[in-house]
Amino acid sequence: MSSPRRYVGRKVLQALATLVFVLTVNFLLFRILPGDPVSILARSQRLTEQDVAELQHELGLDRPLARQYVIYMGQMLRGDLGVSLLTGDEVAGIVASRIWPTLLLVGLGTLFATIIGVWIGVKGAWRRGRGFDRSSLLASLALYSTPEGWLGMLFLLVFAGILGWFPAGGYVTQGLEGAARIADIAEHLFLPVLTLTLGYVGEYAIVMRSSMLDVLNEDFVTSARAKGVPEPEIRRRHVVPNAFLPTFTLIFLNIGFVLGGAVVIEAVFSWPGLGRLAYDSIDRVDYPVIQGVFLVASVGVIVFNLIADVAYGFLDPRVRGA
Amino acid sequence: MMLDRSTRSTGRPRTGVARLRTVLAFGTALATMALVTAPFASAQSDSPDDEVVLRVGVTANLDHDNVWAITAGSDWIVATLQYDMLLRFGSEDLAPEPSLATGCEPNEDHTQWTCTLREGLTWSDGSPLTSRDVAFTYRFVIDHDISQYRSYFEKGTTFETPDDTTLIWNSPEPTFAPDMPPYVYIVPEAVWSEHVGKDRKEIRAVPNTPTIASGPFTLTSHDEGQGWTMEKNPHYWGEEPAVDRIEFTLYSNQEAMIQALRNGEIDFADGIEPALIDSVSGLDDVEVHQVVSDWWLNFAFNFGGQSAQADPLPALKERSVREAIVMAIDKQAIADKAYSGTAMPGDTVIRPASSYWHLDIPADEEIRYDPEGAKSLLEQGGYVDGDGDGVREDPSTGEPLEMVVPASTDTTGAVEAGELIVGFLAEIGIRVDLRPVTDAKMNDYWGAGNFDAYIWYWSGDPDPDYQLWIFTSDQCGNWSDGCFADAGYDDLYEQQRTTFDRDERREIVFEAQRRLYEQIPGIVLAYPGWLQAYRSDRFEGWTPAPGEQGYLLPGYNYESAITVRPVAGAVTAQAASSEGGVPAWVWIAVAVVLVAVGIAIARRNRRRELEEA
Amino acid sequence: MAIADADAVAPPPASRRSIVWSRRRRAFAAHWRTFRRNRQGMVGLGVLSFFVLVAIVGPSIVDPAAIEEATAPWPLKVAPAADYPLGTDRYGRSVLDLMIVGSRISLVVGFTAALGAIVLGASVGITAGYFGGSRIDSILNGLTNWFLVIPWIALAIALAVVLGATLFNVIVVIAVTSWASTARVVRSQALSVKERLYVERARALGAGNWHLMSRHVLPNVFPVLFANTVLMVALAILSETTLSILGLGPTNAISWGRIIDESFSAGAFSAGLWWWLVPPGIAIMLVTLSFTMIGFALDEVLNPRLRDR
Repeated sequence: MSSPRRYVGRKVLQALATLVFVLTVNFLLFRILPGDPVSILARSQRLTEQDVAELQHELGLDRPLARQYVIYMGQMLRGDLGVSLLTGDEVAGIVASRIWPTLLLVGLGTLFATIIGVWIGVKGAWRRGRGFDRSSLLASLALYSTPEGWLGMLFLLVFAGILGWFPAGGYVTQGLEGAARIADIAEHLFLPVLTLTLGYVGEYAIVMRSSMLDVLNEDFVTSARAKGVPEPEIRRRHVVPNAFLPTFTLIFLNIGFVLGGAVVIEAVFSWPGLGRLAYDSIDRVDYPVIQGVFLVASVGVIVFNLIADVAYGFLDPRVRGA
Repeated sequence: MMLDRSTRSTGRPRTGVARLRTVLAFGTALATMALVTAPFASAQSDSPDDEVVLRVGVTANLDHDNVWAITAGSDWIVATLQYDMLLRFGSEDLAPEPSLATGCEPNEDHTQWTCTLREGLTWSDGSPLTSRDVAFTYRFVIDHDISQYRSYFEKGTTFETPDDTTLIWNSPEPTFAPDMPPYVYIVPEAVWSEHVGKDRKEIRAVPNTPTIASGPFTLTSHDEGQGWTMEKNPHYWGEEPAVDRIEFTLYSNQEAMIQALRNGEIDFADGIEPALIDSVSGLDDVEVHQVVSDWWLNFAFNFGGQSAQADPLPALKERSVREAIVMAIDKQAIADKAYSGTAMPGDTVIRPASSYWHLDIPADEEIRYDPEGAKSLLEQGGYVDGDGDGVREDPSTGEPLEMVVPASTDTTGAVEAGELIVGFLAEIGIRVDLRPVTDAKMNDYWGAGNFDAYIWYWSGDPDPDYQLWIFTSDQCGNWSDGCFADAGYDDLYEQQRTTFDRDERREIVFEAQRRLYEQIPGIVLAYPGWLQAYRSDRFEGWTPAPGEQGYLLPGYNYESAITVRPVAGAVTAQAASSEGGVPAWVWIAVAVVLVAVGIAIARRNRRRELEEA
Repeated sequence: MAIADADAVAPPPASRRSIVWSRRRRAFAAHWRTFRRNRQGMVGLGVLSFFVLVAIVGPSIVDPAAIEEATAPWPLKVAPAADYPLGTDRYGRSVLDLMIVGSRISLVVGFTAALGAIVLGASVGITAGYFGGSRIDSILNGLTNWFLVIPWIALAIALAVVLGATLFNVIVVIAVTSWASTARVVRSQALSVKERLYVERARALGAGNWHLMSRHVLPNVFPVLFANTVLMVALAILSETTLSILGLGPTNAISWGRIIDESFSAGAFSAGLWWWLVPPGIAIMLVTLSFTMIGFALDEVLNPRLRDR
């Protein structure tokens, strides 16, 4: 068994290798595949041929691929993600301004989905096959099968439209300060978070349930029972903590998928996050911004995975040796 | 199960409490987020004193606050509200009228114009606005070769500013540009002089918020991805607007914007998609305004010559084949289905918004929808379906009449119209391979010329010169759609360019439009409208431009933003939104249910444990 | 089942091949019996069969001209009636017709993308597992882990933007972004199979890599793979919906996701045309649900450890 420090070190190295991979994919995707970002601008901005050539030069598209790669990696190391083809603003700045809303949305959604999902999973598995288990399992499967974008549309149309209970979209009403501003953000948050929560609660409930069932089969549970440890104690001390570990990893691994759901939800609710930025940039074919979002999202997932790995390693020392 | 009683009994109470705590914690977590908002939301402070705020919903982002970078989206709205031109487009028919200058007079041969500015003009920071700012702006355009404005200035044009209110425009060639008027917003020399000599990319990237300008409103803040605010300019030279502030909210989809209008979160919605006309037209207290078209949907034929790859169908060189295609297309159906009835069937290349220049093709010259006539026209040309596969063949080459037609997915209605055209042309035995692609790919097709026709759009300026120019034969490989070349048309273009009498010029412009309609370089499929809607219970007094069917919020001038005023005694959007929200009873019900569920679960668990014990 | 019973009393088979086949048939029959007892699985199978039937037969019943924008026969945007039980869209096409035609595309995308992902994932997983611990394994495993980390939506958006949104590309995009989890599961399975005695023995007898992988590792990995495929189809259908809602779905075909996108962007619901937005979402939910229900049932059938509990 290796020492904790070596374990963490190895994980960090792995994360760095992954980062290099992501950077490379990001580089290749937009250069090797067909489609020239510069020609897009030509019509909309009435650019002349000379403008196009200049722009290609600025973007480095007229140099050999290997050279471009070196330049690109250098830029990435300096945190230079280039400028938006459309607005001419720094991509790093644009992307940075969108991280917080997405973190807020995805964070709260994941938090609620985890709390509720784990609770349902624990309860269902503990009393497997009973009424609660059956109905909650079916509900979980149904929620898992519902396209979150569509669900969001229905919520938007019913709760913001017909009933008028919540704002139809956006992050905050302009010109508000202090507590009123926070309250207003919460109002705007409600429907998107609700959609995201419902979109993932089913999955987490199912995973928690089956992981509970796995643990319930383990020898140590049987022996605890034989020793006469009271049932609630077994559940609280032995089963739930052990069953929560795999669920916990899954939740972190899933962040990438949640981001996927967030793109649609942000588009439906006009939420000014990364997903919406990606969505708007697809529409306007703003390659550098799409690249920036891709990069930040991937880095986010890498970081979350690293956190999960390290936390997992400390919670369950057996993993460190593996 | 063999369980020891004593340990068991010590475990029970603790878990019971813990569970209750979890349930409550979870309930609170859910509820806090929501509940917290209710009291605050209603306590939301209304704007200080009696500020009048106009809330505008848009789906197009503000990409550039800098006039040199303006492209599309909401850039024009913001620029138009905050800047002035030397002369501006009149609200009636976009004819030039006084703005910063009260007028411009030409010398005899139109090589020198003298423009007189108003007295005592100032920028929004209080500093004086003089003819030097105007000359600076124009020189800035010329020196930095800013392509979208460059065309107004003949090579070698110079400016003189003998005093603060006089601008002399010297052109080496006769010109009527000053009176067009040039669509160039005047910027302060004090702000931009430090950027002189930079390259265009740097200039485009200069941040410009908050802005110093001369119009009635100036941009004061912009939250990327959310919206932006424009405040009244205290130094504005004209009549004071009734509105103090305009707040723009950016929505990422049309439904959200319409729901916001319906529930009074916004007062005005701009750029509603035609497909959503039914969603807005039935709303209470909402007035829908259909703006006359300032763009047209273009079905352009390709004649080849752009590059080696350009290999269009030879049959399209035949005017009769193109005419048959015109006759096969039901433009009314396109207006009804692709644009939900909000478009007009198209005829000539000058959009109806330029009402002075637009020619309505007289009924007897019109090529009407007549699929039977189209078929016989093709038969006469020898285009018959020899192998019975439903597609006619070209008698000279034996090749079937199959057309590759890219359609822009970024142009409202283009793909929908394309799908309709596939059906129409199938009727007369021409197969269309429709390829919906983004504008990026459209550019590739356009540049290479490897298409037979494409569906895209043109918009043009209020003045017809630019729009007519792109159809001249020397535009092949530049702006021309498909390298249409017609010497007769080229002559007409040159003539109108050098005719200085407005009415005389109009006759030539009409003739040029007629020529294009007859020669069919492409088909003007539709003049799509532009939809705006506003809360008629809150605001009134709009001044649409151009004409009654013009834009309520700026398209060509800002007059409407000055004349619009709140309806007496109306509730503003801000007050309304604090009234709205979730009714208190819902919150109370949610809270009650949560607490009840929590208690029930806790009690049931305790009972179960007692039973198990 | 009849075939299996016949096999049970069949005379000694003549060839090695037929031994293998009869064994497989028997195993299948046993699995099927277990599956049949699983109510959830059967309900899922029933619902799925219905939709598959619709997808196979349906489009040939619908007149192609009726779903063509130019020749759609009905009035525009009207409420359900006898001729069009789910109302009509903005071109005057019956929404039910669109749903029927769309079922084929949605299922085809689901199946082919899942198949692609599974084939890719299984090949990588088996190869990596088979060569466990070697250089090949560490490369393939690294690749798998990398693809697991890339947020699928970001890659899908990037690919769809660069490649263009055709039916084929959408399938490729979904397959490319979802094979990694399969590879991971299969690899660990293959690793354990490889260590089994009979595989060792076959190797000792001189069996080549290809033979070992295709004859011994693959059949043993198959149960896991099968359940995985079913769940993957569900995911692929949901992914297609997400892409379509973002406007990156196949532009040259009608899918359920595209109907949702079209109706939402045409303001269907707020104009009171709920029948245009709600049914496609429900259809997606039902099909996906049936796949997940079958998947869960299969998991229990093929994984006896789960059944015991």
